[in-house]
Amino acid sequence: MSLEAFNNRNVTEGDYFLCDIEDYPQDGWGKFKRVVKRTFRGELFVGLWVVMREMIRFDIHTIQYPQEKMPIGPRYRAVHQMKRLWESDTERCIGCGLCEKICISDCIRIDTRIDENSRKEVSEYTINLGRCIFCGYCAEVCPELAITHGGEYENASEQREHFLIYEDMLTPIDTMKAGKQLEFEGFGSITPHEDERVKKTPLAY
Amino acid sequence: MSKIINFTIDGQNVTASKGETILQAARRAGIYIPTMCYISKTSPCASCRICSVEVEGVDGFILSCNTPPTEGIHVKTNSTELERERQNIMKLYDVNHPLECGVCDKSGECDLQNMTLEFGVAQQEFSAKDQFRTVKEWGLINYDPALCIMCEKCVHVCNEVIGDDAIEVKFGGYSSTIIPKGSDTLDCTFCGECIAVCPVGALVSSDFKYSANAWELTRVPSTCAHCSAGCPLEYETRHSGINADDSIYRVKNNFEFASLCGAGRFGFDFDASATKDESEFKTALSKIENAEAIRFTSMITNEEALILQKLKAKLGLKLFNEDARLYGAFMKAYGSVSGKLHASASLDAVKQADAIIVIGTRIATDNPGVRYALTTAARHNGARIVYAHPMEDALMKNTATQFMKYEAGSEEGVMALLANELLKNADVDDATKAFLADLDLGYLEAESNVGDDELASMSKSFMRSQNKVLIIGSDMFAHSRAANIAKLAALIEKYTDFSLLVVPNEVNTVGVSLICDLDCDEDLSKVVGYNASGEYILSALEDANLKVPALNQQEGTVVSIDNRVLPLNAALGFDGYELNDIACAFEIESENTIDYTKELPMASGFKAVEFDSLENFLGAFGEDERGYLLESVDCEMNGKVEEVEDLPEYNGTVIYSANPVLQFNNFTNVTKQLERDTALRGSAQFAAAAKISDGDTIEIHLGDRTQKRVFKLDDELKGTIALNPTFDSGYNYGSYRFLKSKIVRVM
Repeated sequence: MSLEAFNNRNVTEGDYFLCDIEDYPQDGWGKFKRVVKRTFRGELFVGLWVVMREMIRFDIHTIQYPQEKMPIGPRYRAVHQMKRLWESDTERCIGCGLCEKICISDCIRIDTRIDENSRKEVSEYTINLGRCIFCGYCAEVCPELAITHGGEYENASEQREHFLIYEDMLTPIDTMKAGKQLEFEGFGSITPHEDERVKKTPLAY
Repeated sequence: MSKIINFTIDGQNVTASKGETILQAARRAGIYIPTMCYISKTSPCASCRICSVEVEGVDGFILSCNTPPTEGIHVKTNSTELERERQNIMKLYDVNHPLECGVCDKSGECDLQNMTLEFGVAQQEFSAKDQFRTVKEWGLINYDPALCIMCEKCVHVCNEVIGDDAIEVKFGGYSSTIIPKGSDTLDCTFCGECIAVCPVGALVSSDFKYSANAWELTRVPSTCAHCSAGCPLEYETRHSGINADDSIYRVKNNFEFASLCGAGRFGFDFDASATKDESEFKTALSKIENAEAIRFTSMITNEEALILQKLKAKLGLKLFNEDARLYGAFMKAYGSVSGKLHASASLDAVKQADAIIVIGTRIATDNPGVRYALTTAARHNGARIVYAHPMEDALMKNTATQFMKYEAGSEEGVMALLANELLKNADVDDATKAFLADLDLGYLEAESNVGDDELASMSKSFMRSQNKVLIIGSDMFAHSRAANIAKLAALIEKYTDFSLLVVPNEVNTVGVSLICDLDCDEDLSKVVGYNASGEYILSALEDANLKVPALNQQEGTVVSIDNRVLPLNAALGFDGYELNDIACAFEIESENTIDYTKELPMASGFKAVEFDSLENFLGAFGEDERGYLLESVDCEMNGKVEEVEDLPEYNGTVIYSANPVLQFNNFTNVTKQLERDTALRGSAQFAAAAKISDGDTIEIHLGDRTQKRVFKLDDELKGTIALNPTFDSGYNYGSYRFLKSKIVRVM
């Protein structure tokens, strides 16, 4: 369906018709008459009938949440996930701090240090989901596709702090080992056929 | 000499003075020529070839950084060929450059990143076999040869500005690297200037490495708080950890024009932390109310000094600060002959000088800023530098052209001899003439050990010099004949073309001496110490009863060696009480400490300028736009040079108060990165005279004081004078820096 039908506000054409709305009662007697009329016309049973009719038809569209859940689109921006590298199962985050820098609600904090092997190591990483507005900038700016949004939208707990544990965001190692890590397909992720577009650097060996 | 050359760049008429290069003329005219290895304060490295330009009628490209223009040439800075040339250079730089920008410390402020993008390097046609190169750990500095692009900036800075000459290029085509000169590991003063100039992440601070990224840091421009050179620097701060407060991560400087020593660069974490403890504050108030005196050091701002002065007036206290008092007395004696309150020279004057005398200071460790200016003068102007001191300094070996050794204590005699030599052909007044005629040159030369041949060779080497500077250091301030030495220096300045630079001890010795009315230090019982010893101590250091903010936590101003009033900005917060709170409690009301900036005494040359209107930057061509210069102040010329007294003798084991490199005072002492070598260092001759050997624990008896030290043999030293550090124990400003001592070995 095109939008034209919605944008056309000319009430003289199309299927528009005027409702027959009674005037509001002006005095007490008029109000009393309206109450009596509404009470005994049985409007109540119209609604009840609709419910009963749908009940016995057995093709209910209601989703039985929380037993049932709607599939979430790949671009949905819910609670963050930290991904692992397919090659080595180690964390993808390199600690560049771009997510912290770009975050407009200032809810990401990251701390890095040099580890025993002289590599950069992320020593602390938190996202304060109480502040996060789920804008998706962090996932977009991440050069390693390490921080992404996931589909987890059920943010209910006794404490906000329950949502900022790095380990909870990180893909569990057994999921990783089973090859079940889901790639983010939202904004900032690599486009399909990326491999074909890469210009190769010449190598001297 | 000052010939003007007219030529055009891209059709625009440009003038250059003699000695200027095309690049310098272009930059002055606001024409952009890209560079990679050029750095304003050194001679051109000419290694990158990015600054190539075309000159009409000349085949090939011309390097604009080291080619002076000739009259009437037409220079083109842009053409398709130049563009391709520059792009190819960038491609060559990018060959095998590790793609680790995500973790590299330089990322975000990297010249290689910027220029690769600027010249649109989208693909690579060149290749070379990659090599296995490991990161070299040189103490405070790490070097990653894989990231190095061989621009040679570090080598040039180390040699031409710092004077360490500690690194060099190991040539080998594609496998060229930077290596420590003549040693396996880096043996230098660790100024870190090579880190500052490195355009890529090859030379990095080992402490900063991987701890933060350029884009996360907040820059706070300020002034170094360790010595009187007043070097500009930027503190870079960031939260430390997840929930912690800000801390300083590193210090950077405008390396294009200014330099910074290692104490400024690596010794930044001297801040104090405190909370408001009301009961302790009340104790402090009552202690001050009942005190007879406040003793303080010159590691404070002008504004604090003014508050102390106001407290003195209000409470009838005495103010003790021997360092500033003696410096003030020295400058007063100088003024009584010269007629001016402030000495005439500045660090820039030293950089431009071609004849310099340094006397009475171990300058390389006392004030690295002056040392760098001396090195610049020596390398760029071929300056003749006479280094007069009782001890040779290995750090000055490459810089000084003549070492004039005199006996400790004979400074007055040496100054008289210098005056006599330099004023030979000057048109002096009768009193001076009589003073010079009265000098017993034979006695002075014999006692001070400065021969007339040395003086004559000095005069001879200065013959063709245009810009001359006399640098006088802190050995003189506490000398018993300080006043006469100052007058002799004033005579030299007055009657010759020498300008005078006096090197104060501490960061704000000059400011304090101009603001406070100081009393002679006495051994009173009720003394409140402000960053100094006392019965009750207000300090930013550990020994404090009440913590006050350190100099990187306050706004305020200090006066540098150049007589420039420089702003300090607060890099970190401070939650405790400060001196202004105490002053407010005594009804010296002012909301902020910096409200006093405009009230600083105009009689001493300060201007009525608000703190917030003080600038703090170096201009595009290195113009110093920081703060303001003190106005020159005339004073009464009622002083007369007195007769030179008999020169004292310092025999036996003499101790000289001098700190090792990068250490200045008890604030540098608390920093994490700077090495703390508290050993007494002396020569083999000293060891023999004191009957001690390397590694011995000794007790030094200096008058009524004794101090425990470990003795370390230093092959670079000669003679019977040993160096005793003061940064850990506190410098006794009131006493002459050379002291006769008795040394006892402790079993």
